[in-house]
Amino acid sequence: MTGTLEGSVRDSLATLKDVGGVVGSFVCTPNGRLVSREIPAMFDDGALAEAGSRFVRFREAFAAGGDELELGVVRFQEHAVYMKVVGTSLLLILVEGAVNMPALRMAANLVGRRIGPAVAQAESAPPAVDPPVESAPPVRARRPAEAPPGMRRFRGRPVD
Amino acid sequence: MAVQAKGNGDVDDEDRTAPGVQPGRPRGFHARLAGVGLWDLVQMECLAHSRACMRVVGEGGVGYLYFAQGHIVHAVTAAQIGEPAALEILGWTNGSFQPCDRPWPEAATIATSHEALILQVAKRRDESSNLVAFPGRGGGEPTGEGLDHVEMLEIEEGAADMRRPDEREVTPVQPAARAEAPAGDFSVMLRLSPRGEILKNSGGSEELAETVAYVRRLTELAGELLGIEGFSAFECTFAQGKLITFVESNGDTVVLRPRPEANLQALRERLGL
Repeated sequence: MTGTLEGSVRDSLATLKDVGGVVGSFVCTPNGRLVSREIPAMFDDGALAEAGSRFVRFREAFAAGGDELELGVVRFQEHAVYMKVVGTSLLLILVEGAVNMPALRMAANLVGRRIGPAVAQAESAPPAVDPPVESAPPVRARRPAEAPPGMRRFRGRPVD
Repeated sequence: MAVQAKGNGDVDDEDRTAPGVQPGRPRGFHARLAGVGLWDLVQMECLAHSRACMRVVGEGGVGYLYFAQGHIVHAVTAAQIGEPAALEILGWTNGSFQPCDRPWPEAATIATSHEALILQVAKRRDESSNLVAFPGRGGGEPTGEGLDHVEMLEIEEGAADMRRPDEREVTPVQPAARAEAPAGDFSVMLRLSPRGEILKNSGGSEELAETVAYVRRLTELAGELLGIEGFSAFECTFAQGKLITFVESNGDTVVLRPRPEANLQALRERLGL
């Protein structure tokens, strides 16, 4: 997916945060590829793609029995995941606490309609080797002794 | 309730020996019906003004209802006689209803009309039975102490009792996994053990049970990946119909497929959906 398209999807996903309780959202294709994300960086791309592929299989399991999923809400202890089918992909919205479900449904419908064409384009694109998402940098603190590329360090200090 | 019905026509040899074909009584059609309510059958007998004894086999055992001139005039169960017996029999929800040949009582023991008897049973049922346990929302672990405070939510009369067999006051003699006639707000009510075994089934299929067992595991895995453990329920909206699944405090999974006209607001609130 091109940066422009991905950016426009991300912009649309950001509007979901107008609904109170929305932590963030992401879009996952049927093959488990992350199309776009608008969710705090503490959720890394790998975890989102893995979780997304589980929800994709969730949908496929019901489809195998003739039940074509359109919407879903999965309730956890403090959070919930709202699922909406967009094309053949899944829009997944993570919410916490009490959320206004009718408002979320409406917001998700609008976003689903808006991102539909871009998601369809992403679905038809050949799978990338690396996740194509402009991803948040992995949240991993650099170890003190680890030198940036090209720099030599000894006991945490740069050496010439 | 299964029923053998009669009409005007011939009966075969087997039926001549069957109970209920009383001498001098007009012969008729012989039919087997399923899914008919006992109250409807009683009303039919009363409307027909027939004089007959009907053997009712239900979850509480065997009972006999005697009809004459559009009324229930006598009733007998193992423990009761007269009006209490009639109320007991009318309270049964599953079983069979067929004519039988039994001695007629010397005098009528029931003076109350059949409508009044049925109303009385309906009222009792509203007050005390047909409850299904739904977990309340709030704080705790879904499989731990947090959901131990199971709240009771009344569902429509006629809905199947989805409590575990060992929690029921009267346990009907039937295989745990047998599909029963669905009723009430839900066309499917299914209870699965934490290992995915079907404990109770009303209108569901083995395939649905397998699907739910699998997706429950998937949601738990997805939750762990996102750091949001504690799966408790999900609701799916399909192109045709909905499905609600929740986990009870004992780890059992309850699957409900609501009818289109069902009002799910109370259930959703309880489950946080």
